[in-house]
Amino acid sequence: MKISLNNDTGEIRGAAERIDAYCASHGVPADVAYAINLAVDELLTNTIDYGYDDDGAHGLEIVLRMDGSVVVVEVADDARPFDSSRTTAPDTAAGLEERSIGGLGLFLVHELMDEVGYRRDGGRNIVTLRKRAVAAGGRRVSDSR
Amino acid sequence: MELDEQRQDPLATVAVSGRVDGATAPVLEQRLKAVVERGDCNVLLDCAEMDYISSAGLRALLVGAKSCQQNGGRLVVCGLRPACKTVFEVSGFFSFIDCHDTRDDALLAAKARLAGE
Repeated sequence: MKISLNNDTGEIRGAAERIDAYCASHGVPADVAYAINLAVDELLTNTIDYGYDDDGAHGLEIVLRMDGSVVVVEVADDARPFDSSRTTAPDTAAGLEERSIGGLGLFLVHELMDEVGYRRDGGRNIVTLRKRAVAAGGRRVSDSR
Repeated sequence: MELDEQRQDPLATVAVSGRVDGATAPVLEQRLKAVVERGDCNVLLDCAEMDYISSAGLRALLVGAKSCQQNGGRLVVCGLRPACKTVFEVSGFFSFIDCHDTRDDALLAAKARLAGE
């Protein structure tokens, strides 16, 4: 499934509904669908808020597919080259006074996905997420293709 | 996202429902700020009807929790659904935000805490 959207964070909610529907129709557990939605949201929000050097309109694209029982998601944009694996993780052990604001979104992407890949291709950033469609209790879902 | 505010001594309770994301988190942040500014620094965020929270929502809670603490109070949450709870856990937010199962549990804990102070 392919979802195209503009660089407007207001469009992420609509994309999330389509991702939920795709996951439900492929037997992906709700908590896995949540994690995928969160990762996609964080990537898109980060790109839309910080990725562009101009104020113009840009297209972003999300492609979802199943690889056996693994959900594979590609998120592509034409923003500045950016590899999220090179960002600094927040100190999640910090107390309230020391805890700094920010840096959490991309950290969550890497924590909640099984694999996060990055490549620059034809002037586009392409982030590939992989997440096994297994319920929180460890139950493997039936292959519903 | 919708917010519904109630006062149940000793807590100002804000019930949040729907999605707390980049588009809606600023509204939550402003509401928490308003609650603290009017003098309520012991705040309960009831998340029983919250479907989704992203890092933008967590940032709003962090700002709220800091401002409660600076005014001598505390921000606590209750009713987190499992998927949202995972996001709090992974983010390390339970090291500074107490999490209760129900609103009643949160109220009892707050009464005990404030009686001991």
